[in-house]
Amino acid sequence: MGYLDEMAKYQKTEKQKEFGADFLKRDDVEEYEFWDEIEIGRESEAPVKFEVKAEDLIAYAEGVPDDSPVFYNEEYAKKCGYDGIVAHPIFGTQVGFYVMRKGHGSWIRTPGARNPGQIIEWYDPIKTGDILTLKLQGYDKWIKRGKYYMRYLTEMYDQHGKLKSRMYVTLILPRTKEDVMKFLKGERGLEV
Amino acid sequence: MMKRVTFESVNCGDVLSEVRQHVDQEAIWKHAVASLDYNPVHNNPEWCRTARVFGLPVTVMHGNQTYSLMCKVITNWAYHSGGRMKRLEVKLIKPVPVNTTCTYGATVTEKHPIGRGEDFVALELWAKDQAGELVGVGSAQVYLPLK
Repeated sequence: MGYLDEMAKYQKTEKQKEFGADFLKRDDVEEYEFWDEIEIGRESEAPVKFEVKAEDLIAYAEGVPDDSPVFYNEEYAKKCGYDGIVAHPIFGTQVGFYVMRKGHGSWIRTPGARNPGQIIEWYDPIKTGDILTLKLQGYDKWIKRGKYYMRYLTEMYDQHGKLKSRMYVTLILPRTKEDVMKFLKGERGLEV
Repeated sequence: MMKRVTFESVNCGDVLSEVRQHVDQEAIWKHAVASLDYNPVHNNPEWCRTARVFGLPVTVMHGNQTYSLMCKVITNWAYHSGGRMKRLEVKLIKPVPVNTTCTYGATVTEKHPIGRGEDFVALELWAKDQAGELVGVGSAQVYLPLK
């Protein structure tokens, strides 16, 4: 059994079952954005929206794992002062990967990418029933100690235009498409 | 009964209860499915043997899982009292290979009596592996109810 089959055993939600789990699919990888081609300042809105269901919120907390009842039990969450089941602080990761599959922002899926750390600001709690949109902006790219950093500013809005969060999404990437394609073959495509 | 955490009850220097978590391949896969981050560096042991993204021939934990667990220190502490994250900044220092046990902790460093229901505290966060080496550091700001 391959690793994708092993992982399929844990897929429970509608979105998890529908999402394409193979990040080494050549046709998809060839369409990603690459560090040396990404245009800083370019703005777009992710074409896919994310309708928040309770099962999405619960699935993220389970995957941390974080067993605080505010993430699972609506009645308990209301007693604690919330409107309903609470979104785990890092739930936005699920939203980001769900909506940034192709085109602008697709570099977050890059084989060979490394995560140096992130900045997140929260403005309004995510709730069940929210329909979330991500606005993306090529924010910065830089070279430090031979590594190629990429940063996007992603702003999350609900269906009423209310800002939910602002994430400065940062990764260290292979520099070129050729480097990424080496990783596709299982070869190291990074600086030594 | 968990003690209610409020802006008035918290002091600079308060140390939060630590979280400890062992991460094996199953835990990494579960996090990948939860976050939809299927990057092979976390999930595909065979690919990692040759691709060696971090110079290691094994899978590594998601960076997102590291700071999700750093946040767990805060959610355990304040969310039953109605606390809410305002800001998080995390720097990941070194990769966490599969089959590592990490410990996560935090200390209150600042109190911001803003009023208008927007009082918040700042915390320093850390994550260490089983050898006691830092794998991540950061800071967070958390809204707390006044009383």
